[in-house]
Amino acid sequence: MRTRLASALLLAALLTAWEAWCRSGAVSPLVLPAPSAVAATLWGEVASGRLWPHLRVTVTEMVLGLLAGTALGLGAGILLSEWPALHRVLRPYVLASQLVPKLALGPLLILWFGFGLTPTVVITALICFFPLFENTLTGLGQVEPGQRELFRMLGAGRTRTLLRLKLPTALPVILAGFRVAIVLALVGAVVGEFVGGRQGLGASIIAAQSVMDSSLIVALFVVITALGMAVYEAARGLEALILRRYARG
Amino acid sequence: MPIDAHLALDGVRYRFPGDPAETVAGVDWAIPRGAIHCLLGRSGCGKTTLLKLAAGLLAPDAGTVRIDGTPVSGPRLSVGFVFQAPTLLAWLSALDNVLLPVSLKRRPQPSDREAARDLLASMGLGDLTERRPAALSGGQQSRVAMARALLTEPSLLLLDEPFAALDALTREELQDDLLRLCASRGTAALFVTHDIAEAVYLGDRVGVMAAGRLVHEGAIPLPRPRPPGIRYEAAFGAVCRSLRAIMDGAPSNGPSPAIGRAA
Repeated sequence: MRTRLASALLLAALLTAWEAWCRSGAVSPLVLPAPSAVAATLWGEVASGRLWPHLRVTVTEMVLGLLAGTALGLGAGILLSEWPALHRVLRPYVLASQLVPKLALGPLLILWFGFGLTPTVVITALICFFPLFENTLTGLGQVEPGQRELFRMLGAGRTRTLLRLKLPTALPVILAGFRVAIVLALVGAVVGEFVGGRQGLGASIIAAQSVMDSSLIVALFVVITALGMAVYEAARGLEALILRRYARG
Repeated sequence: MPIDAHLALDGVRYRFPGDPAETVAGVDWAIPRGAIHCLLGRSGCGKTTLLKLAAGLLAPDAGTVRIDGTPVSGPRLSVGFVFQAPTLLAWLSALDNVLLPVSLKRRPQPSDREAARDLLASMGLGDLTERRPAALSGGQQSRVAMARALLTEPSLLLLDEPFAALDALTREELQDDLLRLCASRGTAALFVTHDIAEAVYLGDRVGVMAAGRLVHEGAIPLPRPRPPGIRYEAAFGAVCRSLRAIMDGAPSNGPSPAIGRAA
């Protein structure tokens, strides 16, 4: 409670200093808008309803990309963990695919899928893939040899061992990867829109930049940050719920 | 080899891939139904490997492992295995851990739950069935592991130093639990340990293993049932001393300790 109060006081102090600095005339409002101007712009966007379609598009891209990236990362992690030979063959390719800057793929993805939702969803999915893949692979490898032997002794086949032993053991590590993926999904969706979006919060930033509306840009930052924090907290709640069932102890 | 052997090992040999020497170098052993045999040896003498061969977790390079005359080709539910560590699943309650051998095959029936509860209750864990392993003491975890191995009512129990990590008093309680449960169910047991007193207290017969071979095998000349106080009697101490002498005379796998040698 005390720390929360301290956080809030710090925010108020920073905003006050920022406002005072802008009002002193030391900096042009084109370069740095005052917090009051940002708040007014944000309220205008919300009240007029202009914000909602963009928010909806970004959230849609984020969720679709996150789901696709999570499913692929989890699936690939399980596949490569169960077949180590396949892992050795494919590992360099997986690594290379992650080292390519995903945004550099943007122009190519636009050529393939056109402008709009799809290229951004693909970029988001590619970004979300890696944390899920890595953490699934790591988590599945953490099963104790003794427990694996126990499952052999009890006559459990590969699928049973995966579902009843390996995945529950790996779950906390996989969920940690999912939390990372959520944060990256927002980055993927917004920055993906920079490259190929017509709608969405990222596309709105580019549009605001072209008319030099810096207070709208900062207002959109605020919306994006709030969205990220809300989704992150939701993920943490979901994680706590799942881990209560599968927690160690 | 007696004809009525329940578990019969016959000239069993095993070498781990890449190892220069055989870990198990030709062992014959027979356990009749309901008998408790102990296998004694220093760390690294091959006793755990022999146990895994008996369980079907490893396949021998030569020789045969038979249960009731049928060659063992892999793990089977009529054989229970208790590992060195309790190997409980952290996300399951004590009851669900005991039910694991059944729940891996099919949905547990009320009768299965009843049996698991009875087993836990018979080991004094009747009130702790819903606890997760992290909320149980080491001794309680070992009891849950033993109950899990007994749930399918195996005719043979293989135990790999299951009580080695416990304090002396808890270990003695668990030894009594084991003797009681084996006697009431007619379960045979092969119990691997490095603790001479444990082997003498539990075993009808005790074998001493060194460098992959059985260097001694003999009956324990003590009456059954054995009251816990028997550990402090002269006859018990004499049996322990003679086994210690055999172990000291056996070829060791590493440098033998210079101090603490029994006469």
